[in-house]
Amino acid sequence: MTDLADTLPALPAPTLADPRPRVTSSLTDDVQLIAACRRGEARGMERLYHQYKRRVFGMAHRIVGVSDAEEVAQEVFVRVFRGLANFRGDSALSTWIYRLTVNAALSHLAKRGRRHEVGDDGLTDLPAPPTAERDSALAARIEAALEQLPAGYRAILVLHDVEGLSHEECAAILECRVGTCKSQLHKARARMRELLGSSIAERFERSAGGADAV
Amino acid sequence: MPCDRVRAQLTAYLDGELDGERGTLVRGHLRGCEPCRQVASDEATLRDGLRALPAHDPPSSMWIGVQARLAAAEVAESKRPSWRRVISRWAAMMPSMPRLVAGGLVVAASVTVIWWKAQPADEAPRTVLTDNRPPKYGADGPKHVTPPSPVPSVPSGDDVTADLASEPARTTASYAAAVDELLVLARDARATWSDDRKVAFDGKVRALRATIADAAEGRPRQRATRTLIRYLEGAVIREDVSLASGGAR
Repeated sequence: MTDLADTLPALPAPTLADPRPRVTSSLTDDVQLIAACRRGEARGMERLYHQYKRRVFGMAHRIVGVSDAEEVAQEVFVRVFRGLANFRGDSALSTWIYRLTVNAALSHLAKRGRRHEVGDDGLTDLPAPPTAERDSALAARIEAALEQLPAGYRAILVLHDVEGLSHEECAAILECRVGTCKSQLHKARARMRELLGSSIAERFERSAGGADAV
Repeated sequence: MPCDRVRAQLTAYLDGELDGERGTLVRGHLRGCEPCRQVASDEATLRDGLRALPAHDPPSSMWIGVQARLAAAEVAESKRPSWRRVISRWAAMMPSMPRLVAGGLVVAASVTVIWWKAQPADEAPRTVLTDNRPPKYGADGPKHVTPPSPVPSVPSGDDVTADLASEPARTTASYAAAVDELLVLARDARATWSDDRKVAFDGKVRALRATIADAAEGRPRQRATRTLIRYLEGAVIREDVSLASGGAR
């Protein structure tokens, strides 16, 4: 008699997103850091910079591309330091900084004229990936597909899937509702699947834990 | 469950956001549907690939660039005309008011009433706006200028109730500070004015101050103060106010 488990197909396992080390800071830390920056203390400003530089640069890099990432990240930190005087604490410091980052990146794209509107109309215009590229490594293909994605989709994918922020954090950063955030993520992933081509799982070896049977 | 409904929930399923029953339904469908299983597998591969993307380290030159930009911005700020700094500072507090009011209208109303009744010290800003001192500017120009009133500090972001309660006092104090700063600018500008213009200006300021003094405390008084501020802006900054007709916008 055949064991039932042997006859069941392997399913992709649901998992919670938490891919990157979080920028952890308590409210007290943030308050002290903000106060130091407001006083213009160089050490406080430098500490804040080092605390957020990787996240800010990483987001900018993936939204605007490598050539403009440093410029956008610098602009973000200038806005942060100049805006701290008016920061009211309505959201966490990290949320505020990430919101500035996304807004600066999207504004930069708009100025550069490369911004795509988020929506199904814009998706149909994007070319399918060339067959030759499909044989490259998954990470390289994903990076390349990200660049072809409309900016709004790119932002939600970077925030949620790459940076591992929760839907609530993403919604606060993008200033939209959580439901909108989830919907955009679903569409963004669907568009990424289209760009990467079908049967991604067969062509690329799944990372550990992703293909485990339920 | 049909395929389209399952696929619409795949993202939530893969992210572990479906509760037990809905997760079971999706899982059951996937076991029996090869096309949907393929889509789910692709999305899981994509999700895992996104999570595994390497972090990009910023170049070491970035901090130097930030500092250079900050220095350049401070130099540019110092070269801005003083009236623009005054207006910017005054305008910076305006967006917060509708948000606070919209966010807690009921709480704000009740807390504010209680706070006003319990805080007779709230009269302090009132004396600034309702005093009956002679006008600061006679025919020979200003005799003295009251230094700007200190603006109460903003409470921490978590203390929403205290924030709401202190908003009227902060607004009143900020308005008073804006008036004082604009009057300082007026002192500098009036050197170029004709005598008629000075007389008209002084008369108008006196009249607007009287209106402020007569206005009921709270929003009516703040509105009257804003009228004075707008008049001073027009007279001092744009100098496009028809002083002969005494027309404050």
